[in-house]
Amino acid sequence: MDFAFSDEQTALRSSARAMLERHCSTAVVRDLVERGIAPEPLWARMVGLDWPALAITESAGGVGQGFIEVAVLVEELGRVIAPGPFLATVTQFAPLVRECGTPEQRDRFLRAVATGATGTLAISGPAGDWRPERAALTARPRPGGGWLLDGSVHHVLDGGAAEIAVVARLDAGSDGDGIAAFVVPRGAARSEPVQTLDLSRPVTTLRFESLTVPDERVLGTPGRCAAGVGRAVEEATVALALEMVGTCQRIFDTVLDYAKAREQFGVAIGSFQAIKHKFADMFVALERARATAYFAALTIAEDDERRTLAASMAKVAAGDCARLLAQEGIQTMGGIGYTWEHDMQLFAKRAKQGELLLGTSAQHRQRVAELIGLTADASTAVTAPVPA
Amino acid sequence: MRLHYDQATEDFRAELRAWLEANRPQPEEMSREPSQSSAHLPPWARTWQRRLFDAGWLVPGWPPELGGRNATPVQQMVYFEEFAGSRLPRALNPQGLSIVTPSLIDFGSEEQKQRFALPSLRAEITWCLGMSEPGAGSDLAGLSTRAELADDGFVVNGQKVWTSGAQHADYCLCFVRTDPDAPKHKGISVLIVDMRSPGITIRPLPQLTDPKQADFNEVFFASVVVPRENLLGPLHGGWSIAGGSLAHERGMLWIDQASSLERTVGRFIELAAQALPDGRRLADNAVVRDQLAQLYIDAQALKFMGYHGFATFARQHVSPEHSVLKLFGTELERRLFLTMTEALGAAAIDVSTPTGRRARDEGPTAVRYLRSFAGTIAAGTSEIQRNIIAERVLGLPRR
Ligand SMILES: Cc1cc2nc3c(=O)[nH]c(=O)nc-3n(C[C@H](O)[C@H](O)[C@H](O)COP(=O)(O)OP(=O)(O)OC[C@H]3O[C@@H](n4cnc5c(N)ncnc54)[C@H](O)[C@@H]3O)c2cc1C
Repeated sequence: MDFAFSDEQTALRSSARAMLERHCSTAVVRDLVERGIAPEPLWARMVGLDWPALAITESAGGVGQGFIEVAVLVEELGRVIAPGPFLATVTQFAPLVRECGTPEQRDRFLRAVATGATGTLAISGPAGDWRPERAALTARPRPGGGWLLDGSVHHVLDGGAAEIAVVARLDAGSDGDGIAAFVVPRGAARSEPVQTLDLSRPVTTLRFESLTVPDERVLGTPGRCAAGVGRAVEEATVALALEMVGTCQRIFDTVLDYAKAREQFGVAIGSFQAIKHKFADMFVALERARATAYFAALTIAEDDERRTLAASMAKVAAGDCARLLAQEGIQTMGGIGYTWEHDMQLFAKRAKQGELLLGTSAQHRQRVAELIGLTADASTAVTAPVPA
Repeated sequence: MRLHYDQATEDFRAELRAWLEANRPQPEEMSREPSQSSAHLPPWARTWQRRLFDAGWLVPGWPPELGGRNATPVQQMVYFEEFAGSRLPRALNPQGLSIVTPSLIDFGSEEQKQRFALPSLRAEITWCLGMSEPGAGSDLAGLSTRAELADDGFVVNGQKVWTSGAQHADYCLCFVRTDPDAPKHKGISVLIVDMRSPGITIRPLPQLTDPKQADFNEVFFASVVVPRENLLGPLHGGWSIAGGSLAHERGMLWIDQASSLERTVGRFIELAAQALPDGRRLADNAVVRDQLAQLYIDAQALKFMGYHGFATFARQHVSPEHSVLKLFGTELERRLFLTMTEALGAAAIDVSTPTGRRARDEGPTAVRYLRSFAGTIAAGTSEIQRNIIAERVLGLPRR
């Protein structure tokens, strides 16, 4: 197992960092958060650098690199809490189309992504359950052709994207695995922006009322999409975990600088052992989250059979890290951490929102438990707790 | 970045695996004559280590004359993975092989290497490590065992404590104060002390788990004479050896620990899925499932953290970042046994199943919980590891 990035990947990271430090300061984030100004120039720059095209095959107009390159970018985007459509387009929409679409559909939609068209993924209900079999929408064949979609889907990142990949359940009793996927254009569903904890990452609720989807926008074969959707969601989950690692690193760096500079009782607060030990624990949490996310990224990049387990492990570790860092990040700043003015609130909210999207740590631990063979025995499921 | 090693590395692994299979000590001889302490080598252990040495499989990163084969860092990692997986003992005198011998090689004279390092590698002599004292534990530099230079060598007076294997060791790598007037880090020297010297008294200290089992000891020195040529490194220059010695121990220890934790978690998961004698099935409890999943993730994470550390900071050397692995690994081990003890509930207080000395791998859960403190206390407590991370890795100011 080799966790060392190649020279090219390291160069990609440094150039991405330089670009983002220059063009994605927290002033850009605040433009969106405080004034609702979308970061169009930043996205245009990313498109100019071929970032959305990076992991799309050359045959579909992409650069033909892999998930590790995406991982590098996403971690850097997390570090500057970049707003904009990258995460939704590259790590949610594109994987779903790649995994579920026909060759023609892949060519059509991914070629568009490679040149800067935006996309997103809509799957979960109000409780945020990210698993395909819990998809919020239902789909049924439309007499005379096409399909009909019904229901409300929540927590859609970048709801203003040009194309929305949606996952839906088929009627019980229908053929196959019961899962279908579609691509609907912007404006097809009723879109309700949600006021989110992290205003730098707006989410939308989409409502479908017997929306007709023409056959050419039905991805693959309805009732044969569970595995593909599962794989795409794994990829999205690992990307989110990586983004969270980047954001947690930013919280850590910010608060570490502060602890070295801020003096009380005549000394830097970072010389108090209570503070030092918190930093040691934060550092461990961060290393744990990063290493686990890198392993998961490798399983995606190499399509290793451990990817399902690795994705859930990565989300657990990133969520645990975000929970700790968001909390101690604010606490260690004291009063300034409680202000709107200091950027810590922006970082902490991004970390916190990531922790809650695509499955919380507790939900993914449950998934891990199932995958490693720890399940309640149906026959004895209603047992009393272990006596103390 | 990749999940798999290249073919050459896998060939290296296959060669080691085949060699281990063909040359390993047999389970019967190992259980007939178990090792009695961390410095006691039964005859089979001496033969085994000698065989590893001769074949260049004892410390593969070292040159052949030191029991190695100039293996690359990646090969060394594979070596430790493979050894951990084989469950064969590699070092029955761990402090001798992993701490003392590297110090002798780094700081010793040519003559000292011949007289002490090579015989240690060939399993002819064993070692204990005399650092801690009643008044100097975490604050090792506060040690007060005194060595005065006289005509016939050093005369040592004082006391060491928690000295693992002292009752069986041939020699002690002993940290002593040679200049009481200098600042505390600058008056320390390191002596090679023959444990059969007149004036040494050893009193075994049984561990908390069993009054009849003692690995560590108190060691008293009453005017013990140590020849001058047994000074390791410069006079009063022992502090840098202390840092170097412990650093060596860190090296790739995490591989062994991660592997053993992975196995133990795996066994608990199996146990949880079965019906216990009292009819319960622990996996029916959602809290236990949640905790075991977290432990499983953490055992995996320890491994990933080790590989990530190897890739980023430790390919060729040891660094303060290793404190992260020591802290996380030992606290994880403790949490693992604590969790299972609590899951078993009152059933865990029955510790009547016999326990062997090969500590960590066997025995009742509650006893293993108590044993796990060896990890969080020895070789720098968890609190000291947190200090090291904060100060040396993160650069927070000392007070
Ligand atoms: C199984 C085992 C085997 C051992 N083998 C050997 C051996 O072979 N040779 C040898 O020399 N030693 C050996 N030791 C000793 C070991 O290195 C010491 O026990 C250890 O360094 C702690 O020292 P102490 O016991 O004096 O505890 P103390 O240093 O007195 O610590 C007591 C408590 O105070 C905390 N504390 C101390 N200083 C600080 C600080 N600066 N900041 C925050 N908290 C602090 C500690 O973390 C601990 O919780 C062994 C110990 C064990 C448990």
